[in-house]
Amino acid sequence: MAFELKVNGKTVSVDADPQTPLLWVLRDHLAMTGTKYGCGINQCGACTVTIDGQSARSCNIPAAQAVGKSIVTIEGLSPDRTHAVQKAWAELDVPQCGFCQSGQIMAAVGLLSKNPKPSDADIDQAMNNLCRCGTYLKIRAAVKRAAELV
Amino acid sequence: MTKHRTDFTPDQAQGVVRLGRREFIISAAAAGGGLAIGIAPLQPASGATGNKLPSIQSSGAEFTGLVSIAPDNTVTIRTTKCEIGNGVHTGMAMIVTEELGCDWNLVRGEYMPPNRNLKDGNLYSKTGALAYFSGRSTGKEMMEQLLQVGASARERLRVAAAQKWDAPLDQVKAEKSMLVHVPTGKTATYGEVAAAAAAVKLDKEPELKPQAQWTFLGKASQRRMNLPLLLDGSAVFGLDVQVPGMVYATVRHVPAHGGKLKSHNFDAIRTMPGVKAVIVIDPNEGKRGLPDRVTAPMGLTATTNGPQAAVAVIADHFWQAKVALDMLPVEWDAGEGGKWADTKAVYAALADAAKDTTKGNVLRTRGDVDEGLKSGRRVEMEFMTPYQDHFVMEPLNGTALVTADRVDVWMSTQHAQQAMYVAADETGIHPENVHVHATYVGVGCGRRIYGDDVRTVVAIAKKMQGTPVKVIWTREETTRQGRYRDIAAAKITATLGDDGMPKAVDINQAASRPIGRNLSDSPYQLAIPAFRARTKPFNTNIMTGPFRGPVYTSNCFFLETFINACAEEAKIDPVEYRRRLLAQWPDKGWVKALDEVAQKANWGQSLPRGTAQGVAIGNWAMATSTDGAPVPNSGSTVAAIVTVEVSRRGNVAIPRVDIAFDLGRIINPDAVRAQMEGGVILGLSSALNEELNVANGAIVEGNLDGYRAMRQADPLLPQEIHVHFGGNSGHDRFSEAGEPPMGPPPAAFAHAYFRATGKWVTRQPFTKHMA
Repeated sequence: MAFELKVNGKTVSVDADPQTPLLWVLRDHLAMTGTKYGCGINQCGACTVTIDGQSARSCNIPAAQAVGKSIVTIEGLSPDRTHAVQKAWAELDVPQCGFCQSGQIMAAVGLLSKNPKPSDADIDQAMNNLCRCGTYLKIRAAVKRAAELV
Repeated sequence: MTKHRTDFTPDQAQGVVRLGRREFIISAAAAGGGLAIGIAPLQPASGATGNKLPSIQSSGAEFTGLVSIAPDNTVTIRTTKCEIGNGVHTGMAMIVTEELGCDWNLVRGEYMPPNRNLKDGNLYSKTGALAYFSGRSTGKEMMEQLLQVGASARERLRVAAAQKWDAPLDQVKAEKSMLVHVPTGKTATYGEVAAAAAAVKLDKEPELKPQAQWTFLGKASQRRMNLPLLLDGSAVFGLDVQVPGMVYATVRHVPAHGGKLKSHNFDAIRTMPGVKAVIVIDPNEGKRGLPDRVTAPMGLTATTNGPQAAVAVIADHFWQAKVALDMLPVEWDAGEGGKWADTKAVYAALADAAKDTTKGNVLRTRGDVDEGLKSGRRVEMEFMTPYQDHFVMEPLNGTALVTADRVDVWMSTQHAQQAMYVAADETGIHPENVHVHATYVGVGCGRRIYGDDVRTVVAIAKKMQGTPVKVIWTREETTRQGRYRDIAAAKITATLGDDGMPKAVDINQAASRPIGRNLSDSPYQLAIPAFRARTKPFNTNIMTGPFRGPVYTSNCFFLETFINACAEEAKIDPVEYRRRLLAQWPDKGWVKALDEVAQKANWGQSLPRGTAQGVAIGNWAMATSTDGAPVPNSGSTVAAIVTVEVSRRGNVAIPRVDIAFDLGRIINPDAVRAQMEGGVILGLSSALNEELNVANGAIVEGNLDGYRAMRQADPLLPQEIHVHFGGNSGHDRFSEAGEPPMGPPPAAFAHAYFRATGKWVTRQPFTKHMA
């Protein structure tokens, strides 16, 4: 069944079961693979995107629920990696393997839009994503740096 | 019963066959208007486009040299090792850059295809498979090769420039990708003379610079080369591979490792949306095997990469395949593993094995231990570490296209060469015709070395000949089909002399891989009159594999906790206790690292009630003599101090961890820091939180709802990690940084917890035993 989604400012048509999680529509139907599959149960945060400005875990949202809303993925954050969060991430060289970092960056974007000056506790609670390389302390520092750069 | 015939040993990692610098065969050739240089005869290779997928090379004519310099002055450095997050891709390019004298901003990296290496007579893997296709960049032979290629390229460029300017060679300087005629100030870029340099014949290859003259390595830190691609989601991991015409599969293996498929009913799902087929992997079907006279350097064994019984659903999209597989009626036969009814039964049998002094292999003995144990203050402890999953961030996956005479595999792998041999073995197609397109890797940690995932992917794709198939394990399947951290237990007994120091130590350990690293090879034994370490294999049907410092992580926890208990019993400061134990040990890096961490963590400071510090030290990959004795100035030594806060209600927090190390020397300080920080967190996560349970031979936990991998908001996340560089000895080795920090922090935590509460935690995961 075909339906339309608004992703990174463009309206795209998708022919899929509307109950398919948004994650798999992005990845397999729209070939936007920056958004990652990690756990599939709304825990690890690798699939984080923003929907109408709020960070959301796309593995746990049927695509149908995102119809009519504005979805932003890592690919749409900026044309040239110059979003404040991307700049902070580059400055602190946050990633190791990098697989979780799209989700980390998008979670940080969502957090900063609600809370421009988050504390350590705010960051931990709002993100709580999994990074198996253990970049958590750099993530915290980078979120704070991004808050300065916004 | 599972047996491990191959292992991730430092002997392999450091190379077995020596390749002296004089034996390098440097070849240079013109390529695309530029220069290609390497140690192999250079041959044309077919290429594709794009560098977001690092294995795919530039379009047009290509050569397989390790280094190419294009007319536009860009430098491409081809590496045999896959980037798993440890920065190896960056490290290898940095090493070449030191001698090549190129502008780091003009360097890009690609992977060397393993079948090209094979066609070139294994010239890139002369010194051992692991040394060239997995792990780190700083092994001695690897570094010499990379430095030599850089130097040989630079020298050809200088000669070409000298010829161009009709100037004596000693007037030509090479710096930052520019050649300068010093007397006149004339300049040319490397790219401008690259084609002429390809024709230069040198009488002999240049000598390498002494390390004291290095200007790049060990100086300023460099960021990882693929950083920009990780900021906008464009880096291609295995999961992200798109091949035209591909279909998707998801797979379920027999939950009890080693079991069989009894039945399945495809008819129940045949008409579900998108479903195309069900494929059965039958381990008894027989693989095709490698062609005559081809052998896989790392071996192909049932336990490391053999097929497991499995069913896979093929569909147009992953989600359709997943939904259908969840609905597919499947019955399994647990086989021999079914006898392991629960975790308790496994732990009881493991503890019995550790305590059984009638069996096992004595790895090391000095003095009369039985006599020594008869008198003196006695310290005795039992320890255990459970099965744990790597929980690789990127679930297992791979994409393959199998035709009659060629296999293409797109794989998130730590070891592209092993992937090639596994694919060849599964299909019977010659490895030269197996094209492994390695991707960036969403965590390796040892899980993606042996290629059981490659086997499954190719076993499925070979039944869909001509159609590319992308196989994705769900998270639950990834977790339940792990090759886990080795299970291990130990009973250690000591008697203390009047001076409080151990006079006899008897170690009895059992593990799924009977390895004594950091136990039988401990340098403490030099100060202990009677010392014995015994190990024995203990296995269930559940498969294990290397996990960021295999068995080292368990042994280091056992021994260091025990030494802390001896020191506490003797009422001697545990840092001082170790200084005494190490007094006769010629490798001064140990005490240097210990002193550095003690000073920087302000060891001995007075702390509020409920707050305490604990200490531990360990060494990953230390060499041993043939009789098992420790070899000084080898491996990577790490010392840790963990600060623990225990509230009156018993809530535990880790405000701070301090780490010092001796790796000899280092090339990229920030990369070392990142490995240390990450190793502290993964080491503490596994020790504090992680445990896989067993039910009827199968793993219970599948996902983060049941498996507590440390996340950002975990109350036990260390709040600060301080990495101190002052312990480095400067000894002439560049030892690895990934595994070593996994060892000491758990023991240092257990020590701090004891000092705060009076209770030793001797079994992991600690959170289960701290309450």
